[in-house]
Amino acid sequence: MRKPKRKNAFSWKQAAGVTMMLVFLVFALLPIIWAFILALRPENRLFEPIWESPTALTLSNIPKLADSGFPKALFNSFVTASVSTALAVVIGVPGGFALAKGRSSRKFLASWALLLLRMAPPVGFVIPLFILYLKIGFLDTWWGLIGAYMVLTLPLVVWSSWTSLSQIPDELIEAALLDGATMGQTLRRVVIPAARPGLVATSVLAFLLSWNDFFFALIITRSDTVTAPVAIMNFVSYASVDWGSIAIASIVLTLPTVPVIVFANKYIVQSMGGAVKG
Amino acid sequence: MKFTIRARLATAAMATILTTVPAYAEDLNVILFGMPYTYGLAELEDDFEAATGLTANIEVVGQDVFENRITLSFTGKTGDIDVVHTPVIQVQRWVEAGWLHPVTDGVNGMDTKDDILAGPLDAYLVKGDYWALPFFAETGMMSYRKDVLANAGYDHAPTTWAELLEVAKAVNSDDVAAFAMRAAPGQGFNMFVFPMIMRAYGGKFFADYPNDLTPAINSPETLEALNLYIDLINNYGPPGAGNFNFSEVAAAMQAGKIAMFVDGTSIVAQSLDPEKSQVLEHMAIAAVPEGPAGRSPAIAVHGLGIPADAPDPEVSFKFIEWATSEETLAKIALAQPFPDFTRASVAANPEVIAKYESINPDFLNLRVEMLNDAIGHYRPLLPQWPQIGAAVGEHINAAVNGLESPEEALAAAEAEMAELLAE
Repeated sequence: MRKPKRKNAFSWKQAAGVTMMLVFLVFALLPIIWAFILALRPENRLFEPIWESPTALTLSNIPKLADSGFPKALFNSFVTASVSTALAVVIGVPGGFALAKGRSSRKFLASWALLLLRMAPPVGFVIPLFILYLKIGFLDTWWGLIGAYMVLTLPLVVWSSWTSLSQIPDELIEAALLDGATMGQTLRRVVIPAARPGLVATSVLAFLLSWNDFFFALIITRSDTVTAPVAIMNFVSYASVDWGSIAIASIVLTLPTVPVIVFANKYIVQSMGGAVKG
Repeated sequence: MKFTIRARLATAAMATILTTVPAYAEDLNVILFGMPYTYGLAELEDDFEAATGLTANIEVVGQDVFENRITLSFTGKTGDIDVVHTPVIQVQRWVEAGWLHPVTDGVNGMDTKDDILAGPLDAYLVKGDYWALPFFAETGMMSYRKDVLANAGYDHAPTTWAELLEVAKAVNSDDVAAFAMRAAPGQGFNMFVFPMIMRAYGGKFFADYPNDLTPAINSPETLEALNLYIDLINNYGPPGAGNFNFSEVAAAMQAGKIAMFVDGTSIVAQSLDPEKSQVLEHMAIAAVPEGPAGRSPAIAVHGLGIPADAPDPEVSFKFIEWATSEETLAKIALAQPFPDFTRASVAANPEVIAKYESINPDFLNLRVEMLNDAIGHYRPLLPQWPQIGAAVGEHINAAVNGLESPEEALAAAEAEMAELLAE
């Protein structure tokens, strides 16, 4: 009697797929695993294979990092990335709404201008900004860096919210207006809640864009407002490289983005699939 | 629009934070890259204010960050830097580009000029002017493990490169490699150490520096030196030694994984650090080995200069004078691992002597001996040197890693030197 074929049998195809996924996962995670190992190794064992002295571990890099200028730089990163994201959303979402639902004949021009801003290399902005800031005393200030980050984040927010808000049915807006709501109230109470997944995803991307920036901060900050990605580079000195601090600082710099992405994950997925069913 | 209490609190907190940012408004902005002296100097900002009544923002950054900042500032003539870290290896290029303000009048007017070590000071004499005051003069030295050499029957460090190869053959083992040296390509990496062997064997970069700048690196003498360098690194070095830089060399010695290395004093000093070395009790230091043409220890000098567009060069010089004074150098020598000071009076300071003698009784004397043997143009003092050094370093590294034969590497290096000089 022939044995009936099991419906959910694990096929070779599946096995190959899982294996490939695991290989890619290990490949992607290897730098992070390596950073964790470096962060926990004493300085004189850094270049030794871990299997030669697996128990030689230390937490001494943590207080060392805490005593350096890195926590202040991390705070600077948090403030500038948060404020520039908040301002970009406050200014950019109404802009995106106007482009999505307004009846301007210059939308084509606006779309090109936005694309140009998104595609232009940062160096095109940073030199004029540096000279301007030097003249008006904005170098090494939070406001200066926030303004610079908005050059990056505002076009992103306008462009993305334009796309998200275009999916809101016109009938929904018309119904709110017929019920007596002003345009502002319609935007706040009807449109933004309906387009929340797309807007949250946009905010997260804008935050990460500022959070991970190195180039703008390198040029227009100094010791007072230096951000974490630049501060990490300061662990490389003339006669030594503080690998332990670099590793733990990199981990610390990555950590805040994890809950943000986990929290925003469902919104990002939803935004990719379309926010509102028409 | 109604604000919730949370929104109001958040807005108030944000406004408070953003309006309390300190301004970028000290009397002087000083930019330096990280090394023990500069870390020590940044701790003494208050001393500068007490001594002069001026305030200074002393910023110590990584070397890459430093390069970016100064290039932007110098080329943009922004005037936002009052005092700049000036490595002697860059000074010719910066002077040629018009990026520095001369400090000749200030130097000649100093009462204590004679106290500054003449070699490092004269390294900043370009076209008849001084362009910086030195605070750091590093030279070459050897660090070795007495126990490993003693086990192989050697009671002293090798004094010649040929003897070093012999000792390497005798002491090399799976547990402890015989030798390591910087091999990573770069003007300040392999090209900081390789000329110690090259010059000891009679090799040179140019036909007759500074009178005849015809490239002359492709010579039998340099080839002999390169073959020795390759032999030592590939056959008697630890795994991966072909791309070791100073941090890997220092870490290998601290972990007891190598028996000998030759590098700058700032790296050799790390092998004697009680907090980092696992084999401290076995460590000893010695002179850089000699070759058929004598001994040529490496030398690296760093100083403080004034950018050409600094708003007030006189005020900038006041800072430099204070930062390189006997008192400041001695304070930093005592507070930091900083034996590379540039004033004779600091070398005679009993507290400084006591501190470094307790680490190694021979260190300071050997440093003076090596400084006396070092030649100022160990790495040629030319505006094009940073590019030439980087290009030659690539070929030397390629030869070590078997990508080019030693003969090919030297021929290619010489051709590239000629191209860069012709530009």
